[in-house]
Amino acid sequence: MSILECNGVTKSFGALMAVTDVHFKLNKGEILGMIGPNGAGKTTLFNCLIGVEKPNNGTVIFDGKNITGLKPHKVCRLGLAKTSQITEPFRSMTVFENALVGALYGGGMKLKEARPKVRETLEFVGLGPQMTKPASSISVPARRRLELAKVMSSDPSVVLLDENMAGLNPFEIDEALEIIRKIRDAGTSLIVVEHIMRAVMGISDRIIVLNYGAKIAEGTPKDIVANDEVVEAYFGTKNICLAPA
Amino acid sequence: MSDNSEHAITGGNRVFWIIFPIAAITIGLLPFVIESEYLLRLISLVLFWAGLAGCWNIMSGYSGYIDFGPVVYFGLGSYATAIAMSKWGVAFFPAVGCSAVVSALVALLIGVPTLRLKGAYFAIATFAFAETMKQISLEFDRTFSVKLFEGSHGITLPMSAHDNTFFFYCIFTLTLTIALIHFWIEHSKFGYGLKAIHEAEAAAEISGVNTAGVKLRAYIISAAFLGMYGGIEAYWITYITPADVFNVQKTVQMVIMTLLGGMGTMLGPFVGAAFLTILSDRLGTAFIEYYLIMVGVIIIGIILLMPRGIIGTIKERFGLRFI
Amino acid sequence: MDCFLQAALNGLLLGGVYAAYSAGFSLIFGVMGVVNLAHGELIMLGAFTSYWMFVFLKLDPYFSVPFAALFLFMFGYLLQKYIINRVIELPHIMSYILTFGIHLVVANTALKLWSHDFRTITTSYSGANLACGAINIPYARFVTFSLAIVIVAGLWFFLTKTETGRAIRATSMDKEVARLMGVNIREIYAITFGIGAAVTGLAGALISPFVIIYPEMGLSYTIIAFCVVVLGGMGYMPGALWGGLILGLAQSLAATYMTAGISVAITFLILFFMLIFRPTGIAGKGLVT
Repeated sequence: MSILECNGVTKSFGALMAVTDVHFKLNKGEILGMIGPNGAGKTTLFNCLIGVEKPNNGTVIFDGKNITGLKPHKVCRLGLAKTSQITEPFRSMTVFENALVGALYGGGMKLKEARPKVRETLEFVGLGPQMTKPASSISVPARRRLELAKVMSSDPSVVLLDENMAGLNPFEIDEALEIIRKIRDAGTSLIVVEHIMRAVMGISDRIIVLNYGAKIAEGTPKDIVANDEVVEAYFGTKNICLAPA
Repeated sequence: MSDNSEHAITGGNRVFWIIFPIAAITIGLLPFVIESEYLLRLISLVLFWAGLAGCWNIMSGYSGYIDFGPVVYFGLGSYATAIAMSKWGVAFFPAVGCSAVVSALVALLIGVPTLRLKGAYFAIATFAFAETMKQISLEFDRTFSVKLFEGSHGITLPMSAHDNTFFFYCIFTLTLTIALIHFWIEHSKFGYGLKAIHEAEAAAEISGVNTAGVKLRAYIISAAFLGMYGGIEAYWITYITPADVFNVQKTVQMVIMTLLGGMGTMLGPFVGAAFLTILSDRLGTAFIEYYLIMVGVIIIGIILLMPRGIIGTIKERFGLRFI
Repeated sequence: MDCFLQAALNGLLLGGVYAAYSAGFSLIFGVMGVVNLAHGELIMLGAFTSYWMFVFLKLDPYFSVPFAALFLFMFGYLLQKYIINRVIELPHIMSYILTFGIHLVVANTALKLWSHDFRTITTSYSGANLACGAINIPYARFVTFSLAIVIVAGLWFFLTKTETGRAIRATSMDKEVARLMGVNIREIYAITFGIGAAVTGLAGALISPFVIIYPEMGLSYTIIAFCVVVLGGMGYMPGALWGGLILGLAQSLAATYMTAGISVAITFLILFFMLIFRPTGIAGKGLVT
C-alpha cells in the first residue's frame, strides 16, 4: 500500500525544466532510494513534495490526501518531514531545543509530552550526551544527526533524507545506515537521496533514478546497476561497472 | 551553571519564581516608601520605557524582524484614548481598552503583508508606515472635513483627577504583564517558534513552524501593549500632537534600550531602559545634544564591543540561559 | 495647463537631484548590504562644506563641489575602514543600528558646532528664472539637475568601465569568488563607501544654492533616498534615476494639486506599497535578500 504518491509532478524555473513529469509511489515501510547526477532535480522534487516549491503541474498524494501546494509547515504537521541538505540548525539554541521545535510544531505536541519524546529521540540518534550544548558548537556529523533528530521528534510517517550522509566517513556512514534501518523498522517510510552509492544501494528496497529532471529508471538496486541508461547518465559510457557494496 | 542549561529539558525555573515576586512586590510598594514626587515620576518613567522596550523586544528581539515603526501603535493608542475620552466621554480604562483593540487591528492589517518582507525591506517598510501614519493624522481632518485628529493642534484630554501614584500603578501593571510575557516566551512553544524563526526561518517552516502565524501573533501582541502605553501616556500628559506621539525618537529609544540591554533576552529591555532613562535624567534637558551624541556613541560602542548587549554578554560569559 | 507643466518641470528638476543623492545609497546597499541610516548626514556635510567655503572664501557653491566630494570621500573611506568593516560579517541588523548611531553622533555634533540656525547661500543668480512662455525655469535648479544627471551617468560609467569599478561589482555579486580572485574585500568596501559618500556629498554641495542648510536636515534626506532606491530597485544604479524622477514628479504634482502634507504622505504610501508588491523596484532589477 502506498503512503506517498507523486503523480506527474513538473516544476520549471523560467525556461529551465527542473523536474519533468515525475511519477512514483512510496510504499508503507519501504526505503526508496533516489539517485541522479548533480542538477538532476532531486532537491527540487523534494521541495515540491513538502510544499517549499509549488509544482507547475501534477499532484502529490500523502496518506490519501492531496497535499499539492500546501504550506511546508502544514505538510510537516501531517507527517511528511524532510531533512535539509545544508545543515541549518537553530544555532544559538541547544541541541535539545532544536529537536524540541520539531516535536512542538511538527509533532503538534504539548511541552510536557514533547520533552520525554525529544530526549528519547536524541538518545536514539546518539546525541544524548550533547543535549545541552548549543547547536553551533557541535561537529558536522553531529549536525547531520541533529537534522535527523529534528525530523524524527515530530513523529513523522514519511521522512525525506536529502544527502544526510554527505561529508561522513565510512564508519559514520555505517552508523547512519543503522539508524535509518531502525527508523524504518519502527514503521516509518523513507526516501533517501544520496550520492554515496554504497550507502544507497545497500539500504534501499527500490531505487528511482533522475536525470535532467526526468525519471529514467526505477527498480531494485540490482536492476538499476544493470541499467545501461543509468550508467550512461553517470559516466557517459557503459564500460564502467557499478558494483553494489 | 548546568542547572540553567538543563532547564529546557526539565522545565520550570525555580530562580525566576523566587526572584520575580520579590522584585515585583518591592517595586509595587515603592509609592508607599517614596516621599519625593520627582523620584516617583522617574521610577514611573523607567517602568514606562522598560515596558515599551519590552514590547519591541517581543517582536524584534525574539523574531529578529527589526521593526522601525513601533511608534505607529503607540501613537494610534494615544489617539484612540484621547478621542474616546475627549470626544465621546468614555472613561479612562475602557478608553485604554479601545487603544489596545485599535492597535491590534491595525497591526493585523499591516502585519499580514509587511511580515512577508525580510531584513532591511521589513525595517524600511515599517519605518515608512510610521511616517505615513504621522502625516495621515496631521492631514486627516482637513482632507476628509471632519474633526477627529485635530491636525497639528493636537488633542487636549480631560484633566485627570489622579496623582502620580495612580499612573505609577497603571504603568507598573502593564510592565509587569510585559515581564510575564517575556517569561512565557522563554518557556513556551510560541517562544521556541519565535527563536527558531530568528535563527533560520526556512528551516523553521519545514520543521512545522507556522512562521507567518507566529510572527503575526508576536507583532499583534507587541502592538496591543504599545497601544495601551500610548493611551496611558496621553492621559498622563493630557495633551498630544502627531509630532509627539509618532516621533521617530520614541522608536529610537525602544531600539537602543533593548539593544543596550540585550536583544532577545528576558531582562535586556529592563536593564537598558533603566540605564538610559536615568542617564538622560542625570544629564538633564539642558544637555539634550550631549545626550544624543552620547546615545550615538553608546550605540556604536555596543555594536562594536558587545553586540549582544549587557545581558546577552553576561549570559554568554557565565553560561546563564534564562535571564 | 501651465500650472501642470510648471509642476511637472519642478518635479523633474527635483527628481534629478533626488537621483543624485540616492545613487550613493543604492551603491552602498548593493555592494555591502548596508542600509546607511547616516546617509542624510553625508548630504548635510556636503551642503555645509559648500556653505562654509562660500562664507569664508567667497567661493561660488558650484566651485566647491569637488572639495565636498574629496572631503566626503575621505570621511566615507575612513568610516567604512575603521568602523563599519568591523560589523560587515555580522547580521545586517548590526550595520543599520550602527549607522543609526553614526547618524546621531554626526547630526548632533554638527548641531553643537553650528547651532540650530537655518542657513542659505545667496548668490547673484539666486531666485533668477529663465522665462519660457508661461513657464519659469529656475537657473540654479536647472544647472544642479544637469550636473546631477552627469553624476549618475559618471558613477555608472565608473562601475562598468574601470578596473576598480569592476572589482566593486564583482564583490557585490559574489564576495567569496572575488576574494579568491585576489580582490581585497575590505579595501573595496572602504573605497565603495568612500565613493558612495563622495557622490552624496557632491549632491549635497550641488543643492546648497537653493535649499535650507541646517544640522538636522539629514534624516528627511535619508528617507527620500529610501523611497527613491526602493522605487528604482535596491542596489540597481540606473534605478536611482527612474526612482528619483518618478518620486520628484509625484511629489511636485501632489503638492501643487493637494497639500504639502499629503505629498509627504504619498511619498511614504508609494514606498510602503512598492515594498509589499514590487520589492525589486519598477524595472524589477533590484536585489531582494
